[in-house]
Amino acid sequence: MDGVAYSWDFQCNLEVDLGSEENAHIVYTALAVDKELQPDKVKRHMSVSNGKLSVNFEAVEARFLRASFSAFVDVLTLATKTIEEFGPKKE
Amino acid sequence: MKDKKLIALGFEGSANKIGVGVVAIDGSILSNPRHTYITPPGQGFLPRETAQHHHQYILPLVKSALDTAGVSPDEIDCLCYTKGPGMGAPLQVSAVVVRVLSQMWKKPIVGVNHCVAHIEMGRAVTGAVDPVVLYVSGGNTQVIAYSEGRYRIFGETIDIAVGNCLDRFARVLTLSNDPSPGYNIEQLAKKGDKFIELPYVVKGMDVSFSGILSYIEATTEEKLKSNECTPADLCFSLQETLFAMLVEITERAMAHCDKKDVLIVGGVGCNERLQQMMQIMCSERDGKLFATDDRYCVDNGAMIAYTGLLEYANGASTPMEESTFTQRFRTDEVLATWREKESVIA
Repeated sequence: MDGVAYSWDFQCNLEVDLGSEENAHIVYTALAVDKELQPDKVKRHMSVSNGKLSVNFEAVEARFLRASFSAFVDVLTLATKTIEEFGPKKE
Repeated sequence: MKDKKLIALGFEGSANKIGVGVVAIDGSILSNPRHTYITPPGQGFLPRETAQHHHQYILPLVKSALDTAGVSPDEIDCLCYTKGPGMGAPLQVSAVVVRVLSQMWKKPIVGVNHCVAHIEMGRAVTGAVDPVVLYVSGGNTQVIAYSEGRYRIFGETIDIAVGNCLDRFARVLTLSNDPSPGYNIEQLAKKGDKFIELPYVVKGMDVSFSGILSYIEATTEEKLKSNECTPADLCFSLQETLFAMLVEITERAMAHCDKKDVLIVGGVGCNERLQQMMQIMCSERDGKLFATDDRYCVDNGAMIAYTGLLEYANGASTPMEESTFTQRFRTDEVLATWREKESVIA
């Protein structure tokens, strides 16, 4: 398949409500450090608004989309659990 | 320096252990809990499953480390994590938690080289000043000495680590991985007395273990079936052969660097037979052997906290955008700034 021009046909969006703008920024900043390992196969865009983290994945094949999405959800869960456990306690 | 003692929280998760430690700049270890991912006999640990294990244990470990140390987040000066080398997915777990905590607690981050951390922990615990260091674990095998600002690698494995060779042989015998395959080989080796000749592969300052592993993997079944030897004899013979190779290259490095003492660090470093063989060599050269037990030899959070704190005290920290992790990170890439002005800290 090498040499064939791929298109970014496989897409997926994820939106997570993190409860506050501050939390959303913390998670965004923590997860933005790690770039996608295969930028020619998977692209990830993140943005924050109204306390929500929005993530858009684009991939050239479904399997890359799945792998990237799955790995991302794992670290996203870890980041939010860390906030829940050690962040300022909600009233 | 400040009046208050600097304190660091350190995270280690580059292989199958996840550990969190609290350490002060004078080297006192306030807490150092850890949890090991133990796979069934005959199986090794894979990156994805290991990362899942770390996900599960890291936050309870942070809590336990802080509680045991009696330290609140306010009292911590910096957050240290293993930047590499190691397995990618497991490394990421510590990195992500540290990035989140750094923002919430407003604390700087320090990325630490795993190998350098083993050396500094060993020096702090044993009091060895300027030894030749043998760093032996499941992922690394290096003979190291400090020279002109860096820990230089004088000899190393050219293929797999010595611990990897032992772990994989344990899988051939389907020994338990609890507490570690190496420990169980060591215990079984004590019952062996027949030496089976194995390949011995030293190449100058370097060693090679993969051929020895292939040989023993290929011949074990037959040797056991024909009652030529017992599993204990094979464990004994493998240890004797591998450790003799390590002692040989360590001695060569000592002669080359003109240093008298040896420090053994890394998971394989708690093997008492290795310590015994190294002790004999050291005493013949009028040197001293420094070694530690499994609390500090085996990967732990305190070693990362302590080394990160040494760097932090010398003005280093890692900006958020650079708080990445990397599977490859050589020992000699780190400028050991704290060694140049050691008197300031000690």
